[in-house]
Amino acid sequence: MKRTLISALALAAATSAHAQDAALPQASSPWFTDGQAAVAAMIARQPNTARARNVIVLVADGNGVGTNYITRLFDGQQKGMLGEENVLPYETPEWSSALIKTYNINAQTPDSAPTAGAMNTGVKQRFNLINLGGDAIHDDCATVTGNELTTFAEIVSDMGKSVGAVSTARLTHATPAAVYAKTANRNWEGSVPEGCDSQTDIATQLIDSMEAGIIDFAMGGGGRAFLPEGEANGQSTGRRTDGVNLIDRATGLGVQFANDTASFDALTMDAPVLALFNDSHMEYEADRADDDEPSLAEMTRKAIEFLSQNENGYYLEIEAGRVDHANHDGNAARVVRDGVAFAEAVAMADELTDESDTLIIVTADHEHSIAMNGYCGRGSDIMGLCYDVAQSGDKHSDELVLGSDGKPFTVVGYLNGAGSVLVEQPDGSFAAPEGRADITQEEATDLDYVQQALVPKSSESHSGEDVAVYAKGPWAHLFDSTLEQNVIFHVMNHAITAE
Amino acid sequence: MPTRRLFIARALATPLAAPMLARPALADTSIRLRDLYRVRGTGLSDLARASAGQRLSVSGFMAPPLKAESRFFVLTKRPMAVCPFCESEADWPNDILAVYTKRVVDVSPFNVLITVSGVLELGSYRDPDTGFVSMVRLSDASYA
Repeated sequence: MKRTLISALALAAATSAHAQDAALPQASSPWFTDGQAAVAAMIARQPNTARARNVIVLVADGNGVGTNYITRLFDGQQKGMLGEENVLPYETPEWSSALIKTYNINAQTPDSAPTAGAMNTGVKQRFNLINLGGDAIHDDCATVTGNELTTFAEIVSDMGKSVGAVSTARLTHATPAAVYAKTANRNWEGSVPEGCDSQTDIATQLIDSMEAGIIDFAMGGGGRAFLPEGEANGQSTGRRTDGVNLIDRATGLGVQFANDTASFDALTMDAPVLALFNDSHMEYEADRADDDEPSLAEMTRKAIEFLSQNENGYYLEIEAGRVDHANHDGNAARVVRDGVAFAEAVAMADELTDESDTLIIVTADHEHSIAMNGYCGRGSDIMGLCYDVAQSGDKHSDELVLGSDGKPFTVVGYLNGAGSVLVEQPDGSFAAPEGRADITQEEATDLDYVQQALVPKSSESHSGEDVAVYAKGPWAHLFDSTLEQNVIFHVMNHAITAE
Repeated sequence: MPTRRLFIARALATPLAAPMLARPALADTSIRLRDLYRVRGTGLSDLARASAGQRLSVSGFMAPPLKAESRFFVLTKRPMAVCPFCESEADWPNDILAVYTKRVVDVSPFNVLITVSGVLELGSYRDPDTGFVSMVRLSDASYA
C-alpha cells in the first residue's frame, strides 16, 4: 500500500514538473521529451520481490564499459544509425544496473578464473585459481584440500534445480569452469601434474558433475580435453594422456552428445546434453559458418528450452568467451561482432523467459586495455578513423582529425598489445623510426586490422577498470551503485531464497 | 569492406611498392593470407585449390620461428599474439601458411606485415626438423 502511494505521489510530481517544463524553449526538443520519458519509465519501475525460480547469468568475457561502448556503436551503425544513440537489449530502462569492481584477492588486474569464481561462490578469489578459498596457492595441488568452496550450482542443485553452462570458449576455460570446477590452476583443463591427487582435471570434473546430477546441460568448445591423445571426434582431436574418453563416459551415463550444427539440431529434450563443437574455442562470430557451429543465441535458446522443463527451475551461465580473445589480439573488428552475438543471446534469453520468475543478469568479468580517441564527430565509423566534429548538423565532417605527427588515427586503440607503434629493431630495441603508420580508412575497417597500441606486448592485456552489471526480474533492483563482483552471487542467492 | 574479388583486382592493378633490392621479384598476383581459406567455417578457399602449383605473393605476419637458422617459418593473418589467458598450450590458428624459404630466414618482428612469394603446395607435410605438420605451404619462397 505504501509503495503504491509513493508511486502515485512520484507520478503526480512528474506530471506537475511536465506542466512547468512546457514553457521552456527546449520543451519540444526530442532530447527533452525523451529525457522526460526516461524519468517516467524509471518512476514506473516497480521492484520485484518475488522468489526467483530461475537465474540466468550472461557474461561477455572482457566486455567492460569501454568494450561494450564500441559494440553499441558498431551495432547501431550496422543498423544504419550514427551509432551513439543505439540501445543494446540490456540497456533499456527496465534493466537495473550498477558498476562492478573486478579485482582479485591478489591482483589489481584480474583474470577470468577468479572473477567467474567470485560470481559463482560469493567470495573474491586468487589470480589463476577457480573456486578455492584465499589460502589456496596457484599451481599448488596440495593446497586444494580444505579450500574447496561451495558453488551456486551445488546450492541450487540441492534445491532441485537444473544447471547449465554454455560458452563460445572451451567448456574447460575459466568462465564456464567456474560453474562446476575447483582447481589450483585454470590451465589444468585436461590433466593435472604428476602426483596431484587432491583434484582431477577440469574436463573430468565436468563429467563428474554431470554424473552427480548437478550439471544437466553443457555446450561449447574444447573437445580435445575430453578425448584420448590422437583420437578424433568431429573437429576435435584428443590430448588426454591418461587414455580416458570422457565423451564415451558421458554417453554411457545417458548424456546426449553433439559436435556440429546437424547433431545440435538433432538433440532432444529427454536427456542431459554435452556438446563440444571445436577442438579449442568455437569460431569467432565473424568466421563462424551456420552449418558448422550454432550461434550463441541458438545455444541459449536450446539451453533454456531444455532447462525450463524442470518445474523447480534452473541456473544457467552463458558466456560470450571470444570478445576477450579478440581484444587480446587487438582486433576490435572481431570484438564487436562477438559483442553483437552476445547482445542477441541476451535478447533471446529475455524473450524466452518471464521476468516475474526469472532473474537475468548481464555482465562482464573484466575490462581490457582498450581506449577511445577524440575528438571525433558523431557517426565516425567506430572501427575506422576519427573524423572531425561538424559545425552544423549532427554527422561528422569530411575532415580527418590528425595527431601532432600529421597522421590520422582510429577511434579505438589499445594501451598495449601486438599493434604497438614501437616495433622491435635489429638490435633488440623498440622504436618507431618512421613514426606511426599512416592508416587509411580501408585498412582501419578491414576485418583483420589490429588497432594501434602503445606498449609493445605479444598479447594485449586485461585492465582493472570497472565493468557494468544489468539485471531484470526478481531482486534485480538490488543492482545499484558500485559493487564488489562477489556481490553478484549474493543477489542471486537472495533471489532464489527470498520469502 | 572490399570483396575478395575486388581486392584481387585492385592488387593486380597496383604496382608493388618499394624496390626489392636483393630480394627476388614478387609474383604477379598478391593476395592476403585469409584469401586462401573459406570466409566462414573451415577449409581452403576455391582460390587456394585453383592456385596449387602456382607462384603467389601472400601478405601476412611472420610468427616467431620455431628454430634458429632455419629455412622455415609460419605466416599468420594477424600478428601471432601469444595469449596465456586464451590458450593453456601453444596453439596455432587454423588459418596459417607454412613457408619454406630459399635462404636462411632473416627474422622479421611478429607484428610487421610482410609479403611472401612462393609456389603454393597443398596436402599434408611433416617438417623433418621441427615435426610441424602443414596442410598449405609456399615453397621456394622469398619475402619482403
